[in-house]
Amino acid sequence: MIRRLWWLVVPLLALLLSGCCQDIAAPQTDGYRLLHTPVGATAPPTGPSVAAPQVPNLLPPVNPADYTGDIIVAGSSTVYPLAERMAERFQEEGFRGQITIDSIGSGAGFERFCVSGETDISNASRPIKDSEREACRAIGREPVEFRVGTDGLAVVVARDNDFVDNLTLDELARVFSSARTWADIRPEWPAEPIQRYIPGTDSGTFDFFVEVVFDKNEEPILTADNLQMSEDDNVLVQGIEGSPYAIGFFGYAYYEENADKLRPVAIEGVLPNAATVEAGQYPLARPLLIYSAPSIMQRKPQVAAFINFFLTHVNEEIVDVGYFPASAEALKQSMHNWLRAMGMEP
Amino acid sequence: MPVPTPTPAEDDIAARLRSRPRRFEAFIRWTLFLAAALSIFTTIGIVYELGRESLNFFTRQLWEDTNKQLAAAVGPTDTVLPVTRSGAALHPDDTIRVEEEVMRVLAVEPTALTVARGQQGTPATAHAAGLDIYRGTRVSLVEFFTGTQWAPQIGKFGMLPLLNATLIVTAIAMIVALPLGLGIAIYLSEYASDRARRLLKPTLEILAGVPTVVYGYFALTLVTPLLRAIFGKDVVEVYNMASAGIVIGILVIPLVSSMSEDALSAVPQSLRHAAYALGATKLETALQVVVPAAFSGIAAAFIVAISRAIGETMIVALAAGAGPNFTFNPFEAAETITGHIVRISSGDLSYDSIDYNSIFALGLVLFFMTLTLNIISQRVVRKFRQVYD
Repeated sequence: MIRRLWWLVVPLLALLLSGCCQDIAAPQTDGYRLLHTPVGATAPPTGPSVAAPQVPNLLPPVNPADYTGDIIVAGSSTVYPLAERMAERFQEEGFRGQITIDSIGSGAGFERFCVSGETDISNASRPIKDSEREACRAIGREPVEFRVGTDGLAVVVARDNDFVDNLTLDELARVFSSARTWADIRPEWPAEPIQRYIPGTDSGTFDFFVEVVFDKNEEPILTADNLQMSEDDNVLVQGIEGSPYAIGFFGYAYYEENADKLRPVAIEGVLPNAATVEAGQYPLARPLLIYSAPSIMQRKPQVAAFINFFLTHVNEEIVDVGYFPASAEALKQSMHNWLRAMGMEP
Repeated sequence: MPVPTPTPAEDDIAARLRSRPRRFEAFIRWTLFLAAALSIFTTIGIVYELGRESLNFFTRQLWEDTNKQLAAAVGPTDTVLPVTRSGAALHPDDTIRVEEEVMRVLAVEPTALTVARGQQGTPATAHAAGLDIYRGTRVSLVEFFTGTQWAPQIGKFGMLPLLNATLIVTAIAMIVALPLGLGIAIYLSEYASDRARRLLKPTLEILAGVPTVVYGYFALTLVTPLLRAIFGKDVVEVYNMASAGIVIGILVIPLVSSMSEDALSAVPQSLRHAAYALGATKLETALQVVVPAAFSGIAAAFIVAISRAIGETMIVALAAGAGPNFTFNPFEAAETITGHIVRISSGDLSYDSIDYNSIFALGLVLFFMTLTLNIISQRVVRKFRQVYD
């Protein structure tokens, strides 16, 4: 009798167990989200929306269907959602080749671009360093910079966090270095240890933050307690969502994608949105860049075509992706860089 | 007696047998020997590679970019260098390098460094403004094994946080796997009916076949929320050692149970019958007669399980945490040795950078840990082995 019941008991147990943990699992973490999902079209949060500046198109028109071959892109996790959106569109409009984009951090991207020469385009959320430029030249590549957008680096806390609204730059420095508990920053805040989630040292976001907040000194932030580092911003999002005492920073698009679970912190009283980033009021605004080289663009016409397409259409997609458009002058400069790299500048 | 001369028939047979080729046998023997020797060559190769890079790591001077630059050009004999205010903080007695020249810092001011020029046999030359300043660090074995901070970017190479996290995760995994694995083995060998055995063994095999990356996501999306529901969201962090440890334990259960069950089955029935004849219950027989008799095999199983848990990478990389943290609280996030190696190496290291060399040193430590466990396992097996006729 008992033996017959085996066949009933085991499936029932399985059903019960799966049912029990579903509610606990679902709101906390969505396994699917852990993979690189393309940033969805979420409505931009508070702040007046600024229409993307109209940029006169200086570039010759490009039809993606005329091109084939491969385009290898790697670099910043901040630029990744934007590059991926432009690549999708490029392929939707007929590009017959393969575009691969890896999100490994600006530093690692330059490593692949300038040292091992594996990539055609390097995404970066910080400008190229002199040593990287030298390395590129040593392998016969002269790096050309294309500004494609602006990011307002978002410092975020979980929605459950109800005490942090605003931080001065000085407090921000202490939150990410020597302070142990929130009460060390302001006595009225809870005396709970601060849990820090930051991009890893290969990340341009990390370099930018250290430059602005710590004057390029990496030591205070890297010796802080409770530090979790990852070049994958989705890992950081997961960590911050999980606790009201967690804080971290990453590109604005990753905040926007998770706006239901995260809250941005105002820096020096300024929240990041289109107006403050455009006007330069938000202290943590930074350029989004892609780099390539004339040697690559001329040898692989599909790379030049993709960059052309990118610059022409970026302002149509960037707000949806979650970043802010670059100024008209910056885009025009990028277009001139393209023309010069292709030898078409009059 | 004279030796009998062979008959023509015997001659025939002898000739045929003698001329049978043996060369093929020799070839096969050598081929099979080479296949076995491959494992030796692989081990030698691993030890050589790890050893060479680790030697590099411990003996060479490593240069880290301080993000400081020379603020103005200096000549070959200037002892005060104007530097930019930004960048890492330097201290007296630091070794720095500008281009090819090595210098020692004597005094530090916000925008100037007093240095001793031309150290370590390098020539003192003029330098242009804007050049990067690098700081030299050398990692000592003492610092490596006793330091409590691991942050290669700023020259801190104490591996205790990583080692501690590895050991805690392994300990939690063993608390889960050993009792459960041994219990399953005892059940299968002493109690289970044929039907139960036919159900349980394939199930265990399925458990053993699940890819570790799936286990990692299992830890992150099921075990962590469960722990947070039980112990509270404030106590258990999103990334924590406990859920990684529990899932590694589950991963290792089939290993423990199958090896232990083999050991228990190898105990002859005569021992069990003797115990029953003396009036022992099934439990008493199992725990007081069979398990001690099979002890050497069970100990070997335990040690193999520990080695497996120490080397587990994917589960800890996904669920245990992404930052070195020296803590004994299993509900905190802490990176293990293997998780650290995978995080650093997946970020495209440049060959010869600080991070690149350090992962080889860590790999060597792991190798020696598992080697030691193997040696202990062999000693234990030999010491407690019981041979029954």
